Amino acid sequence: MSKRYVMVHDENKCIGCQACNVACRSENGTPEGVTRLQVRVEGPFGQAPNLHFKYHRVSCQQCEDAPCVKVCPTGAAYVGEDGIVTIKEDKCVGCMYCVAACPYKVRFVNPETKATDKCNFCKDTRLARGELPACVTVCPTNALTFGDANEPDSEVAKLLNTKPSYQDKIHLGTKPRIYRIPTKRGGIES
Amino acid sequence: MIKLDRRNFIKGAGAGGATCALATMLPGSLAALEKEPLKAVGKEVASICEMCSTRCPISARVVDGKNVFITGNKEAKSFGGKVCARGGAGHSLLYDPQRIVNPLKRVGERGEGKWAEISWDEAYKMMATNLNRIKREHGPEAVAFSSKKGSLSGHFFHLAKAFGSPNTFTHGSLCPGAYVIAAKSMFGTKLKRDLGNSEYIINFGHNIYEGINMSETRGMMKAQSERGAKLVVFEPRFSVVADKADEWHAVRPGTDVAVALALCHVLITDKLYDQAFVERYVVGFEAFAAEVKAYTPEWAEGITDVKAKDIRRIAHELAAAAPHAVVDFGHRATFTTEEFDMRRAIFAANVLIGNIERKGGLYLGKKAKTYNKFAGETVAPKLAKPGVEGMPKPTAKRIDQMDKQYTMVWKNGGVYQSILAATLEAKPYQLRGWVMSRTNPMQTMTDRAKVLAALKKMEFVAVCDVYISETAAYADLILPESTYLERDEEIADKSGKNPAYYVRQRVVETIGNTKPSWQIFKEVGDALGLSKFYPWANMETLQLAQMNRDDKALRHIKEKGYVSYGKPLMLREPSMVAKFTDTYANARTPDDDGTYASALKFKTPSGKIELSSAAVEAFAPGRGVIRYRDAPLKRADELYFIQGKVAVHTNGATHNVPILANLMADNAVWIHPLTAGRLGISHGDAIRLTSSVGSETSYAMVTPGIRQDTVFAYMGFGSKNKELIRASGKGLHCGNLLPDSTAPVVGMNLHTTGVKVEKV
Repeated sequence: MSKRYVMVHDENKCIGCQACNVACRSENGTPEGVTRLQVRVEGPFGQAPNLHFKYHRVSCQQCEDAPCVKVCPTGAAYVGEDGIVTIKEDKCVGCMYCVAACPYKVRFVNPETKATDKCNFCKDTRLARGELPACVTVCPTNALTFGDANEPDSEVAKLLNTKPSYQDKIHLGTKPRIYRIPTKRGGIES
Repeated sequence: MIKLDRRNFIKGAGAGGATCALATMLPGSLAALEKEPLKAVGKEVASICEMCSTRCPISARVVDGKNVFITGNKEAKSFGGKVCARGGAGHSLLYDPQRIVNPLKRVGERGEGKWAEISWDEAYKMMATNLNRIKREHGPEAVAFSSKKGSLSGHFFHLAKAFGSPNTFTHGSLCPGAYVIAAKSMFGTKLKRDLGNSEYIINFGHNIYEGINMSETRGMMKAQSERGAKLVVFEPRFSVVADKADEWHAVRPGTDVAVALALCHVLITDKLYDQAFVERYVVGFEAFAAEVKAYTPEWAEGITDVKAKDIRRIAHELAAAAPHAVVDFGHRATFTTEEFDMRRAIFAANVLIGNIERKGGLYLGKKAKTYNKFAGETVAPKLAKPGVEGMPKPTAKRIDQMDKQYTMVWKNGGVYQSILAATLEAKPYQLRGWVMSRTNPMQTMTDRAKVLAALKKMEFVAVCDVYISETAAYADLILPESTYLERDEEIADKSGKNPAYYVRQRVVETIGNTKPSWQIFKEVGDALGLSKFYPWANMETLQLAQMNRDDKALRHIKEKGYVSYGKPLMLREPSMVAKFTDTYANARTPDDDGTYASALKFKTPSGKIELSSAAVEAFAPGRGVIRYRDAPLKRADELYFIQGKVAVHTNGATHNVPILANLMADNAVWIHPLTAGRLGISHGDAIRLTSSVGSETSYAMVTPGIRQDTVFAYMGFGSKNKELIRASGKGLHCGNLLPDSTAPVVGMNLHTTGVKVEKV
């Protein structure tokens, strides 16, 4: 069976500390002013004292039906054999169609390479070395889990089978592969 | 090492004096060097972080000669191989063009920002000339030495001692000191918390989900997510830890002590406390019980705004979960002038539920000596302390020891802010010189104007740092230390429930003309004519001496970076003692109940836990028994002003690190919607906060996550010196709003005050 790499972000365990953001920059050499990944701490929502924050991971959703790939005129934005949506820098002409087409607003033009850029699960760096993505590696509270959802014994498969989760903007038919375990207000749901 | 090539300096630096007014490029900064690839020392190096004072074990790898990928060292299990945002940003500090990589001397007025590059020889000559002159004319005690506590403060204070000054200070009285002193007065030693095994955690604004201490942050998350532990948070602000809690109670700032005392009241009155434990291990219970009789939950509600029925219920829940429950004693202990009794009241609640040396409770660190004794064999090597014979004994009294109530403080870093009165008012005597290492009192001490006046009045100020910090900006001489990624250091003790050691090792070769501070202060010693007190040649000889010349053991620690010995041991936990005795054939025989309870002794005068202390009563009359006292923290027409930590910065140290500055450059002021409405303030408006000592402007963040009578800002922003280009003038400077106030007995600086808020 082909691989289906997914990432699960447990918003109960996430503390919004940005360790993921910084590790991503270090591993991928992301230049100043742009970012592949951040966690926005939004809120608080609700009525005091029953308030809650939302810990919102903002990064490429690795859509199975990716608008960026569809609109790319040169094939720079493509889906690899591993299913990961990524970018061939030398094919990118900087037309920014993909930046406009991305409903999650997570693509940008890298000011150094002048090609578009975004999270690719550390495909060329850490995955190539058999390591987990940088963000998963450093996450202080183990809020991130990464793996092949087609592998029934994988941690991600187990998580998705046992916990309620949601994906962003599924009504668009993009089939995002970032899953989120929603916050249960009042303590950490295990 | 990258060669200093004079031709690469910018023109503005000039050939002769290398002076320039501050523009985009600082003399002596990394920007003045030609950028070359990082030279890695090894493929993957295990070391110790220094982006904050938690000093987590890390593992670092140079990526393409451009930056360093840092993660946690997996050998350290409780740290989980993890690292926070600050720890991950180490390379951003290493390669910050604004980092100082050459010694600098002041050439304009103090604080004017005119600097000239000088050689290390000249820097050492300046140190010797100035310090020896002050010593000759006024005695060595006229020079104060202050440093961040940690790996290198030992070398720094060794210099102070060799020089003959008793006036050494750490950050203690500006942040964590009170809980350490409270613990020592009751238990004779510091205690650690076993959050990971706890089933019920009460937390008084100890925001370890933002002020990250990796093993504790992970421990509490593990307890919450895997053990289903209940977390109850008392904090005036809706912090991340409050968000993750089962219950958040917006306690009135600085009144936590009343909640803690009321919890004790319920535990005693409703006979929920561990009477056998108290009987066996505690003295002074009767006096304490008599005192807390009046501290009912209803009484506490009037002071704290926490509902009496909640306090009563929480006390019952705590007792039901005991002994695998804990009342967290916190970290930053500067909420009130009653810090001593606040932290003692928290410890008292732990004593009453008998959680000492139980899983999920509090415990005493088990270093090699203790652990080996229980095991009946050498499980862990003991670290030798290579002492130096014939060190001079200072003849003068410390400036903070004229007042007997601070008897316990000097061993814990002293009353740091007593430098102010000594310098400005010659109380108790005149200070004339100030040498600092990696400390930034202009940010972290209260009443910035006073700190500034003290710095300006000094005859000589020298600062060792990696940046021209807000404090270094007022120095006469800046000694640039290498970053932690370029330094080798001594083996450090990281023992918890079992012994552990770890070591800082350089990851890349030194960039520029910096030195590790152990070397700087050894060479300063040489220049001062104190060479005889420095019998070691280098770090390698010191490390070997620590390991009793056991080269193999040293290499093992260096290879792993972190080595833990044996199994976790808590003396009153039967399952742990059983595993321990199974492992070590010659282990101490357990008591009849399968524990080492009979071996639990405390280093207090009575050998027991002193819930009330005659020793404290002797040096601080009226303070022997824990008691509530009113502590006015603001005027009626003011709002409370409180501060806290954010996960991406370390107070007063990281605000200029490029990656971190880009993540967060300033600090908005949290204000409640109703308060903002009454003051005509909208979200994002520029506002001014005015206190009894200063005035600061920032912008409003209108949020229901704060009490109506309180405003909050993250600490460490708003530096006013122009050298910190990314941090300067951004946000609100907390120290400029806080008055100079010192808590009784513990000598803590106070971080709660009253402010008036207006739209500008």
